[in-house]
Amino acid sequence: MSGMALVLIVEDEFAIADMLEMALTDEGYRVVLAANGRQGLDRLAEGPLPDLVISDYMMPVLDGVGFLRAMQRSEAQRHIPFIVMSSMPEANVRELISGYIAFVRKPFQLAALVRLVATSLSTSTPDS
Amino acid sequence: MEPNPDEPSGGDEVARVASFVPGLDAVLCGGFLQGGLYMIQGDPGAGKTILASQIIYGQATQGGRALFITVLGESHGRMMVHLRPMLFFDPARIPEQVAYISAYHALDADGLKGLATLIRREVQTRGATLLVLDGISAIEAKAGVGFEMKRFTHELQTLASATACTMFLLTTATGATGAPEHTMVDGLIELRHRHYGMRNERRLIIHKVRGSGFLEGEHAYRITREGVTVFPRVESMLALPTRRDPAPRKRMLSGIASLDNMLGGGIPTATATTLAGPSGAGKTTLGLHFLTASSVAEPGLLFGCYEPPERLRLKAATMGLDLAAAEQQGDVELLWHPVGEYILDELAHRLISAVRRRDVKRLVIDGISGFQEAAVEPERIVRFWSALSNELRALGVTTLQTLEIPELIASEVRVPVDGLSSLAEVMVLMRYVELRSHLFRLISLVKVREGAFDPAVREFTITDAGMIIGQPFEGIGTVLAETTGEAASTVAAAAPSEDGAPAAPDEIIGRTR
Repeated sequence: MSGMALVLIVEDEFAIADMLEMALTDEGYRVVLAANGRQGLDRLAEGPLPDLVISDYMMPVLDGVGFLRAMQRSEAQRHIPFIVMSSMPEANVRELISGYIAFVRKPFQLAALVRLVATSLSTSTPDS
Repeated sequence: MEPNPDEPSGGDEVARVASFVPGLDAVLCGGFLQGGLYMIQGDPGAGKTILASQIIYGQATQGGRALFITVLGESHGRMMVHLRPMLFFDPARIPEQVAYISAYHALDADGLKGLATLIRREVQTRGATLLVLDGISAIEAKAGVGFEMKRFTHELQTLASATACTMFLLTTATGATGAPEHTMVDGLIELRHRHYGMRNERRLIIHKVRGSGFLEGEHAYRITREGVTVFPRVESMLALPTRRDPAPRKRMLSGIASLDNMLGGGIPTATATTLAGPSGAGKTTLGLHFLTASSVAEPGLLFGCYEPPERLRLKAATMGLDLAAAEQQGDVELLWHPVGEYILDELAHRLISAVRRRDVKRLVIDGISGFQEAAVEPERIVRFWSALSNELRALGVTTLQTLEIPELIASEVRVPVDGLSSLAEVMVLMRYVELRSHLFRLISLVKVREGAFDPAVREFTITDAGMIIGQPFEGIGTVLAETTGEAASTVAAAAPSEDGAPAAPDEIIGRTR
């Protein structure tokens, strides 16, 4: 995947969203931000579709569970690689959702997360 | 626990970052939390820059990478000049491991947003593990202290956590105020001066640390060429001894056989014995006997505040005690801390360090008055001495501590510090009496908490063969009749305080009436 890949970050904590945006932008990615799952769905509807979604788990309006389930109901969106972030253990998250490609426990390590994005984009294809 | 560079997820435990400031990690209960945001505040000259620099240069020796960002503070050139005499300062670390940059233009041009962006970029680009931001007051002057400052602090906190970069904000604010950065940081450390008459003591206070315990209250610190050294307050750090107190089961020979007989076989091990008496009564002499009996199995230490080592060696030699040989064999160490402007806790930490270093079993503290002189807050001394004594007991140390009493010749003997006598298991009273134009030295046991003892008042002499304790002093009745005009009795032993309750003011440990 080229460095111009588009990443959608869905995160209600502005400091985390801003930091991720800057870190990924510095790596050459294009970044779109959304503050909750509802806004995330709006961004997807507006297009263009991102190459990767990084989403928080607990958010106001529409949380990560509702957001991912909504994406999975969409033929066009269900194949977009999805990374979940949460301060809870993955076991709690796995009880409610599946189909994500990676789980990141907060507080995360920024450099490792940026590398995870690169790895995810290089190994994922829209049809995988 | 270092973060795995390939694992984005954080773990349940936060790693600790050593401060490289002696004593500070003990106050912080293990060091700083990695990826934490700390504020270091204090008056100008309190040592904030030195403290932060000591941390980053210390960490640099372990491979750490630090970023020192200034806004409107000291120029980097002047900072280098001021740091150059410090032994921790290593210019070879600059700029690869310790980088100095100014964020003034970013703040001036783009406000807090610009400053936050610059910090994020620099931390990531340089892979910084430590960041110092000097000039929070200048940042507040530019941005105000409201929502924007809170937002900025939150951004820094998020960045610190996500990059495992431990951050320190330096500011001249004082006290635990409700300023946004105070409420939002993970830890708040204050450096302040305290004046006691003509003396000044520097104090470090931890106001808060999220996610970790810490030693509360004030802790003295000193700044020397070695940097900052913190002396954790003994009552706080040793509130509980570091080991279990070995209950005394054995007796340790005092070096004077007749005294051992009076004690019922020697001094109970891992206890404190107070040698109370006026100046020149023979307290140090008795201590030298005890010390010279040191061996490989029972290493000895004299921690003195008055007589220098040369005089002690000479004094011992005149009594046939070869203290110098015991030193040369490594059985005895003499440490001298002349009464000056020592910090009370500094003395205690030096003492405990010397005890631990050689696993000392025989200790002479000469004397308690030297510690009293160092105490700028005299009301601390009983609590302080209690904590120190408990730790020494727990370390298995048998301690003889001298306590000078002001009365050279008197019918009543009062301990100059309330409650101190209850802290020792054994109390030995040494004094002069005058009888028909002659001075006599008398010794008696006031209490031996661990067992029966000889309560007789005995005369002793100091000869070229050392201290010789003789028979019960028959002239005591005559002495008392002459000094008081009353019928004489024997020396009244003060009731030992088994529960350690504070004694009455001007506690009387011996009386002839």
